[in-house]
Amino acid sequence: MMASSDPAVIQTRGLSKHYRNVTALSDATVTVPEGRISALIGPNGAGKTTLLRLLAGLARPTGGEVAVLSSRPAQDPAFLADIGFLAQEIPLYRRFTAEDHIGIGAHLNPRWDAGSVRKRLESLGIPLDQKVGTLSGGQRAQLALALTLAKRPRLLLLDEPVAALDPLARRQFLAHLAEAVADGGLTVVLSSHLVADLERTCDHLILLAASRVQLCGDIDTLLAEHQILVGPVKDTTAIERDHTLVHAVRTARQATLMIRRNGPVIDPAFQAADVSLEELVLGYMGQQTTTPAHAHLSMIGEDQ
Amino acid sequence: MISFRLDGRSVVPPYLQIVQQVRQALRMGVLDVGDKLPTVREVVAATAVNPNTVLKAYRDLEREGLVEPRAGLGTFVVGRPSGPPPGTHSRLARSLAQWVRSAREAGLDDDSIESLLRITLRAAAEEETA
Amino acid sequence: MTWVVWRQHRNQAYLAAAALAAFAIVLLITGTQMASQYQSALASCTVSHRCSNLANTLTLGSPAVTLLVTLTVVVPCLLGVFWGGPLVAREFETGTTQFAWVQSTTRGRWLTVKVGWALLAAAAWGGAVSVLVTWWSGPENALQHQIFQPSQFDIQGIVPIGYAVFAVALGIATGALLRRTLPAMAITVGVFTLLRLVVGQDFRSHYMTALTRTFSFVHAPPLPAGAWVVAGGMVGPGGQTFSSQTGSGAHLNIEGVPVNPANLPAACRALVFQGPQKLFPCMNARGYHGFITYQPVGRYWVFQGIETGIFVLMAAALLAVTAIVVLRRDA
Repeated sequence: MMASSDPAVIQTRGLSKHYRNVTALSDATVTVPEGRISALIGPNGAGKTTLLRLLAGLARPTGGEVAVLSSRPAQDPAFLADIGFLAQEIPLYRRFTAEDHIGIGAHLNPRWDAGSVRKRLESLGIPLDQKVGTLSGGQRAQLALALTLAKRPRLLLLDEPVAALDPLARRQFLAHLAEAVADGGLTVVLSSHLVADLERTCDHLILLAASRVQLCGDIDTLLAEHQILVGPVKDTTAIERDHTLVHAVRTARQATLMIRRNGPVIDPAFQAADVSLEELVLGYMGQQTTTPAHAHLSMIGEDQ
Repeated sequence: MISFRLDGRSVVPPYLQIVQQVRQALRMGVLDVGDKLPTVREVVAATAVNPNTVLKAYRDLEREGLVEPRAGLGTFVVGRPSGPPPGTHSRLARSLAQWVRSAREAGLDDDSIESLLRITLRAAAEEETA
Repeated sequence: MTWVVWRQHRNQAYLAAAALAAFAIVLLITGTQMASQYQSALASCTVSHRCSNLANTLTLGSPAVTLLVTLTVVVPCLLGVFWGGPLVAREFETGTTQFAWVQSTTRGRWLTVKVGWALLAAAAWGGAVSVLVTWWSGPENALQHQIFQPSQFDIQGIVPIGYAVFAVALGIATGALLRRTLPAMAITVGVFTLLRLVVGQDFRSHYMTALTRTFSFVHAPPLPAGAWVVAGGMVGPGGQTFSSQTGSGAHLNIEGVPVNPANLPAACRALVFQGPQKLFPCMNARGYHGFITYQPVGRYWVFQGIETGIFVLMAAALLAVTAIVVLRRDA
């Protein structure tokens, strides 16, 4: 396990990105330690893509600081060699084959493991000599990930990489990712809507809503810090004073509160329950869980 | 070789599921002393679970004295989970029944008792690992 | 990066090479024929001392090939539209900049190598076409002495290289600004054509101060061979000039100089239809002479150089804009 003295792979402070009349990201302070697989969660328009692009150096911030691998994202070959970025649209050259892309990667990167791409595609049954535009969405995503990993980056930034994949392909994709992390020296940030997948593969969470960072930290720690309290509708000022109220639903008789604990909760009127990752996320986005654990967050996400 | 099955819907955290499945495998004879556990990479490839989760589980098992990592070779089973000494079960069952009675008298229903039990177990586990 | 550029554009390169080869074959065959045709015509007229009228009587080559050669004036524009326009714009449009710019090559290197090869190819193709056309036009140039005329000036010498480099730079810059291929192509055509017309028709005649020659109609010397006559007309005794623009109506062509009869002195007007022997002494006696303003043929290469330089400078400015836009804007 990494020591707490290792410098964080990602460290931002007050990071902002404003356009003419739109704020894409506001005052984002985020830390991602080394070796984590971090889930970047949030509704559409919350700023996930913006944050990833700022980290990769594809966009410049309008305010705040950002340090990736201890330096500012810059047009520097050494920095670019250490990061991998996969945009949501899976940008590949449609008229080129997978083998062509391997060639491009070999010519543009100092570290390039062409064999790993070929091996991976072979195990998935994806042809090397077919034009990429004729491959399915899932196959393109797998190819793109393999190409990104072949760079041997230290940090991988993935924007909704599994959105277009069926459940099996999703599982294979995440397994491949986790394997690469298990080999060591790799940190991953991936944005997604699907909480169930993330819960299994990710151990760190960045939650964005309304262009702001709502939560950032290890998932286990965050879950332990939160609790659901169910009880009668009554005066809850004491609870709200001692702890942070995240989300409350009150009917005529019953109150369901999600709190972030400052110490133990001692109120016998309330039944305490652990918080699942999905509940945590939805709580911060202002909703109550009514759907099963594999719900799509995008169904309740804000419009762009 | 044991293969792990992780239930995403279970309230039991993934690392604990791995620990429990190893213990269960040992009790049932699927695993025996001297057997090699799957590598972190193999577990990850099969289940897409976070590598740190597997590491945590294997560390817990090591702490319980059930497994031992050997540098360069892997993690090997070195012990079996010990059962409780005779008489412990009945003694514990009696005091538990007493506690349940007083909880019922206080007005707790089955669900409250279960939830209280879960939280207490969790807190105790955290205390042990701290 | 060079490999990547080649891989991306090799089909285009093959196509262009094939077209160039075909063009070269046509020109080499017809050009050789025309050269020998001209040589034999020259030989026979020298023998019989009747060469002075050769320009009017000898037609070299076929109309079809002559038309083809004339049409090479669009080659720079085609290069700009098809090589320049999509170079950067297409990658923005398809999003592949988000792939290329997260490999270990910096944006600066990516742009430099892509643009560098595109300009080199433009100069090479524009130059190759121009070399072929200039060589092919040898006999025609010797016969007609028209190299300074726009129809010849624009397609021979070194200006086609300048045009091609500028056109491609224009296509690249528009593509980088708009990030869309088709609008970039359309704007490239429009702006390129406009600039070519403005520079060719309005600026070119002023690269160097034109020479003026006044002459008596009675002893009119022949026009300087190969010169580019920028203006011409009549000059009166008081120094007033009547160029072909002053006055409307029909013009007479007197010794190659356009003259409006309304500007003739009253006494000589009646003699217009009685022939030069009567008209010219009348005009000369009253101090009416002819003048031409012209650029001598000796300045041809200077003009070629200046015009090429203008277009290359404009290309450089466009490339600076491209660099700023690509390197500083968000991906």
